[in-house]
Amino acid sequence: MIYLDNFRSTMVAPEVWETMRTAAIDEYAVPAAFTQCGTGAAELIERAQDRLATAIGASQNEVVFTGSGTEAINIALWGGVWAQTVDKPEIVTSEIEYPATLAVYRALEKEGYKAHYIKVDGEGMYDLDQLSSVLNEHTVMVSMMGVNHMIGTIEPLAQAGTIVAEASQRAGRRIPFHVDFASALQTQRLDVDAVKADLVSFSSNKIHGPKGVGALYVRKGTKIRPITFGSESYSPLVPGTPNTMGIAGFDKAVELLYATFDKDVERMRGLTNRLAAGIREHVPHILLNGPDSAGRAASHLCYSFLFIEGEAIMMFLDMDGIVVDTGSACAAATLKPNYILMAIGRNHEQAHGSIRFTLSRYNTEADVDTALAKLIPIVERLRAQSTIRPPAQ
Amino acid sequence: MAIKYTAKVIEHFKSPHNIGVIENADACATEGSPACGDEITVYLKINKATDRIEDVKFQSYGCASNIATGSIITDLAKGKTIDEAEAITWKQAADELGGLPPVKMHCSVLAVDGLRSAIRKYKKEVKGIDYDSTLDVKTVTEELKHVLWPPVGVDIITLKLVKYIGIDQGAVKVEISINSDDKFLDPTINEIVEHVSKIRGVKSVNVENV
Repeated sequence: MIYLDNFRSTMVAPEVWETMRTAAIDEYAVPAAFTQCGTGAAELIERAQDRLATAIGASQNEVVFTGSGTEAINIALWGGVWAQTVDKPEIVTSEIEYPATLAVYRALEKEGYKAHYIKVDGEGMYDLDQLSSVLNEHTVMVSMMGVNHMIGTIEPLAQAGTIVAEASQRAGRRIPFHVDFASALQTQRLDVDAVKADLVSFSSNKIHGPKGVGALYVRKGTKIRPITFGSESYSPLVPGTPNTMGIAGFDKAVELLYATFDKDVERMRGLTNRLAAGIREHVPHILLNGPDSAGRAASHLCYSFLFIEGEAIMMFLDMDGIVVDTGSACAAATLKPNYILMAIGRNHEQAHGSIRFTLSRYNTEADVDTALAKLIPIVERLRAQSTIRPPAQ
Repeated sequence: MAIKYTAKVIEHFKSPHNIGVIENADACATEGSPACGDEITVYLKINKATDRIEDVKFQSYGCASNIATGSIITDLAKGKTIDEAEAITWKQAADELGGLPPVKMHCSVLAVDGLRSAIRKYKKEVKGIDYDSTLDVKTVTEELKHVLWPPVGVDIITLKLVKYIGIDQGAVKVEISINSDDKFLDPTINEIVEHVSKIRGVKSVNVENV
């Protein structure tokens, strides 16, 4: 199998699995004081906090581990807005965020919060002028993402962070800035001070760690309330017995990520460029979704193949052992075309023919060449049997 | 729940029967639209003396379910008289395929509609039998039986999701009752508009969720 769907989830790295096995068998005690096994588990969590914190320019006690990226987003957004008492509260995000963020915003709207959804341009870049214009003394949360999961756009977080900081000064209080970094962690470095983030969400399974664990960075001094309650833990935000096995796995994944980060990113950039060049050379009538080259996450490539439907392409590739994703309405449980593709101005038909290729450091040149070799005849064949024809040359 | 296609669907998707175009077809019809999802065109070669379908082909801009249903209904139609072929139902097509996920049933409806439209065109143009009835509540109701509610794959009339149909000089109003935050609400409204719009005499379609 050639797995090119790494923005959905990744393979657990063998070293990660080995670490988890050890943690499960040898360090199963609940983190606690004084006993050897209890302190061993507590130190495991501290090491993991420290490693992720150091990588993003934070301190150890500013990082907590959650049950998933989605849970981190929920703690950040619910916990962040509940901690503030502002008259007629307003919340700000963009129309192309991850479904977890958008779902929380819609739930908050039902609670009476007024939500603003920032628009994006044709390549998925945030409209920062609009962001400036909607921030005011009522704003209690701004949430933006590092890399868009569907189209790979690297978003201007530092500029967004500065805009939020300026608005905070005008408002006379800190407006919390949450960054969803789950899809970005694989290819982007993060400095929480440079982007002036107060809250940052991460997910382990996007970087070859296990599912069922995520992390949340909470800047010291940020107003936040717990959204779940239970027995005492290393942080009130994540009560109950910590998932030491998952945390150990996530920690190992972070270690491996940064051990070869620059080399891997450069190599993945080379592979996606190679795939893009091959598609451009051999397949006519295509549209790149998202920015070209440097504006796009190194491991990400999303093309629309016009006049055919994406689920059919995806299934043919699947039968050839190649795993990709599509933004086609036909493949969606909701029967709607992908909202991000619609937000960047694609029509239904263009969204239907979209295929997303997302790589990992485990992919090779041979993977990309095989995928291209299989893709070309599939597109030709589906076009030959389609009701829609390319316009006559 | 895992949504999977049956082996039969995969087989017909991989190697669809009767794919292509019939030059000088006796009838051809297109159903669906790229904007709404799938589109299918069915071509018929009919023996005018016996009214038997001698050859049938189709093209599809669609997903696996649409392609597989196109393949199976063209198999079913070949060699049948036009009346027999017209009576083929989407349920029959789906059964032949060993079933379809409920959410994909509407793709099979489209393929059957394509076959039926081609036959009715032939009947109208060659045999002089006009099927296009006047625009009334009954015609709209019949048409809405082709709109399926995705979670269960059953039409919205049978499920009593349609509460009211009103017609005023070509303006059709359809009132439905679906939970306002249901994820299938928008696609279903689109499908109602698509289906009702093609009835002769319809000038506008207004769907309201009450």
